[in-house]
Amino acid sequence: MNEHIDRRAFVSKAWKGGVALIGLAGAWTSWDLLRPRRGPGGGEVRTVAADVVPEGGVVEVTAARAYLTRVGDEIVAISEKCPHLGCRVPFCEQSGQFECPCHGSVFNRLGEYREGPTPRGMDRHPVRIEDGVIFVDTARVEAGPDKGAPETIDEPPAGPSCAGEH
Amino acid sequence: MADPTTDPGRTQPQLAAGRRVLGIVPGTPATGTRKEPDRDEMVMVWPHLLVRHAVAALAVLAVVLVLAVLFDAPLREIANPTNTPNPEKAPWYFAALQELLSLFHPQVAGVLVPTAILVGLAALPYIDRNPETSPGRRKVVVATFTIFLVLWVVLTVIGFAFRGPNWDWVWPWVEWHGEL
Amino acid sequence: MQLMDRFRATAVGRSLFRSPDRVTERDRAAGHWANFLLHIYPVKVHRREIEFRYSWYLGVASAVLFGSLVASGIYLMFFYVPSPASAYGNIQAIQTEVAFGQFVRNVHRWSANLMVIAVAAHMARVFYRGAYKPPREFNWVIGVVLLVLTLLLSFTGYLLPWDQLAYWAVTVGTSMADFVPFIGGTTREMLLGGDQVGSATLLRFYVLHVAVLPAALVAVLAIHLWRWRKDSMLDDGEG
Repeated sequence: MNEHIDRRAFVSKAWKGGVALIGLAGAWTSWDLLRPRRGPGGGEVRTVAADVVPEGGVVEVTAARAYLTRVGDEIVAISEKCPHLGCRVPFCEQSGQFECPCHGSVFNRLGEYREGPTPRGMDRHPVRIEDGVIFVDTARVEAGPDKGAPETIDEPPAGPSCAGEH
Repeated sequence: MADPTTDPGRTQPQLAAGRRVLGIVPGTPATGTRKEPDRDEMVMVWPHLLVRHAVAALAVLAVVLVLAVLFDAPLREIANPTNTPNPEKAPWYFAALQELLSLFHPQVAGVLVPTAILVGLAALPYIDRNPETSPGRRKVVVATFTIFLVLWVVLTVIGFAFRGPNWDWVWPWVEWHGEL
Repeated sequence: MQLMDRFRATAVGRSLFRSPDRVTERDRAAGHWANFLLHIYPVKVHRREIEFRYSWYLGVASAVLFGSLVASGIYLMFFYVPSPASAYGNIQAIQTEVAFGQFVRNVHRWSANLMVIAVAAHMARVFYRGAYKPPREFNWVIGVVLLVLTLLLSFTGYLLPWDQLAYWAVTVGTSMADFVPFIGGTTREMLLGGDQVGSATLLRFYVLHVAVLPAALVAVLAIHLWRWRKDSMLDDGEG
């Protein structure tokens, strides 16, 4: 086959190949320029003393953009970002649950799914307790509990939801 | 043809002194015949279309100027990553999408539906191969398109005006949460 | 007008306007061909095409609004720095200190909203007229691309004031990309330049808003209008 290639066919193939190479180089360069330089971001954030975190309530840690709550002796760090579309989910004191303002997703105190369009429960960060102080690793995100999973705490809404009051 | 000088139904032409009639010819009014415009006829773009476009442009700009004088563009408080406003509203042209997002899994409402809409729109001329252009002879496609259009407009209006804090239903005349 | 005629008769005038006086249709056509600005128009169209009920002038309205957006947008660019530290303050300064700043910003905002409406309505009108049928199928596809570009322009501009409205609308809008299979996460991070809306996002959206997307829109619009001109010369039933 190769001995039959004439000059016309060679030039025709060569310039197309050249253009393709330049296009590839351009695409790779653009990708390399535009891809995010930083990793997932964050790191270990030193937060509050473990005995400050109440049973039945949450503590917001703005620096970590997370909430801390407790089940028995276990401390849970819940990311503020709604797993639906990234809104910050405020904790509603009077109902004792998380209520997302964007699309009305509702989660219990542990960030487990109650209602709304979210695909799963609220994401969590690993925590480490050193000398009674909680460290939250915001670089690592654990996907929240599944939508269908039963709630692990028995805390029905304590009162009316915060919707309508803001 | 009756002789115009003897036909009693005709008035005599007024003659000024010293002038005489050389002849009377059937003709057209000096302003030209008025003919009904033929819609299939070709007309010059300059000036016929250009003057219309100029008027349309002025009308559009007039609307913009009036709106700009009467209503200021919104500016809320400075961006704050630690606090999501309640309600959080998308721009109005995405309100229908936001409404769908509150009802369905984001993979459906946020990915599948917009993709289907755009691909469907782009493929429309290749799906609808019926060469007829009058609406009466393309009932199916017109009805389908109209249903989707109305649905989209209704969803947009709901998402824009009828949704309040926590994306709950509100009546826009009771409390207003629309954002432009 | 006489002054204009005398100017056109001079050497400079003749070099400036390449066309003869427009007395006959032939002169008009010659003038049309010689005019740079008019080259986007056909010389003749069917009478029914110039009527209001044919197009409702929605296409030309979209184009005029785009022109208004370019003009007001260039003015705003002189007073705006795309960084989280300055963007919000710049907008406040535009509204309070810059001459006609609030008014120009209003014009930009309203033109943007109206352009989305005009483009969508233009598409609907073209649909109901059946004007996407052969040989115009591909121009309809180009129109869909123009609709997408219009929405993207509007959405990227939405972030620039860096207020609560902007920040969270873009957070939600870009989070949707996460749910696209396989490429979603990467696409979102490419758009944001990070894992959340921040200074890189503002800069990226600014560059898209003032350079990339307008250039793309002008290029695609040129093809759209070129095909419209070519197709309007066809003497078929639709015209």
